[in-house]
Amino acid sequence: MTILNITYNGLSADYPMDTMAPLSDADVRRIAVEVVRSGGLRGLVIANLADGAFDNYVVDRFDGPAGERGARIYLRPKVPFGAATCA
Amino acid sequence: MSARVVFCGVGALGSTAAVLCRNLPAELALVDFDRVESKNLLAQSFVKQSVGKNKAEALKLQLFNFWGIKADAFGVRLTEANVGTLLAGASLVVDCFDNLASRVVLSTHARAHALPLLHGALSGDGTFGLVRWDERFTPDAEDAPGQATCEGGEHLPLIGVLGATLARAIQDFLRTGDKHDAMVTLHGVVAT
Repeated sequence: MTILNITYNGLSADYPMDTMAPLSDADVRRIAVEVVRSGGLRGLVIANLADGAFDNYVVDRFDGPAGERGARIYLRPKVPFGAATCA
Repeated sequence: MSARVVFCGVGALGSTAAVLCRNLPAELALVDFDRVESKNLLAQSFVKQSVGKNKAEALKLQLFNFWGIKADAFGVRLTEANVGTLLAGASLVVDCFDNLASRVVLSTHARAHALPLLHGALSGDGTFGLVRWDERFTPDAEDAPGQATCEGGEHLPLIGVLGATLARAIQDFLRTGDKHDAMVTLHGVVAT
């Protein structure tokens, strides 16, 4: 079991996936678009989400608590800032 | 008091987190080359009297004048040439920089010297932030050079929550040595 966490527009939700094959970053982004469009995530449903909505997002992969390789995948916006001057 | 926490970048996130670390049994040090502008008052923990001052020096003054907390201030740009001097004696380094190059300098130095490094990072649209230890952190580049993160303090609530989450992670580390990661959305904080 792999948990895909998707953060979009200030909301974040988990999507459990039964997947045997390793997923590329492009796979993760494509799955996320379909999940969000189809209503598979509670509170994060956008039927007309653009195909490229996650093109600029980052895919983070972490092991699970028991050491399961890549059991947690996070799809999130870039976070380049911390001290930036507000315009 | 033996711990020394060095905040690298004290703009929106760094200034907020540093103020929330004023209760720690630790020396605080602040690094930032930038100056406080009036527009910063909407989203950064500076007061009107600090406008025009260097951010590190201004925050040092505020910490002392408001709460009697002494801190060290370094009003310089952190580079490969001075990173060793600025971080000398640090028990913990907190990265709140706003650019990839400075984050890389910090990570490179911290990894070479086994120095604990905690990153705080914010998305450009102000809807998402990360608190992540260096062992699990890869810095993101800006979408465009000079990209602004917030307009008129619109993102102050999220910056506040992210700063508080960062301060809590610092507190936990100094107390127990635990390294907690978290992500912050508009709807709350999630441990990761």
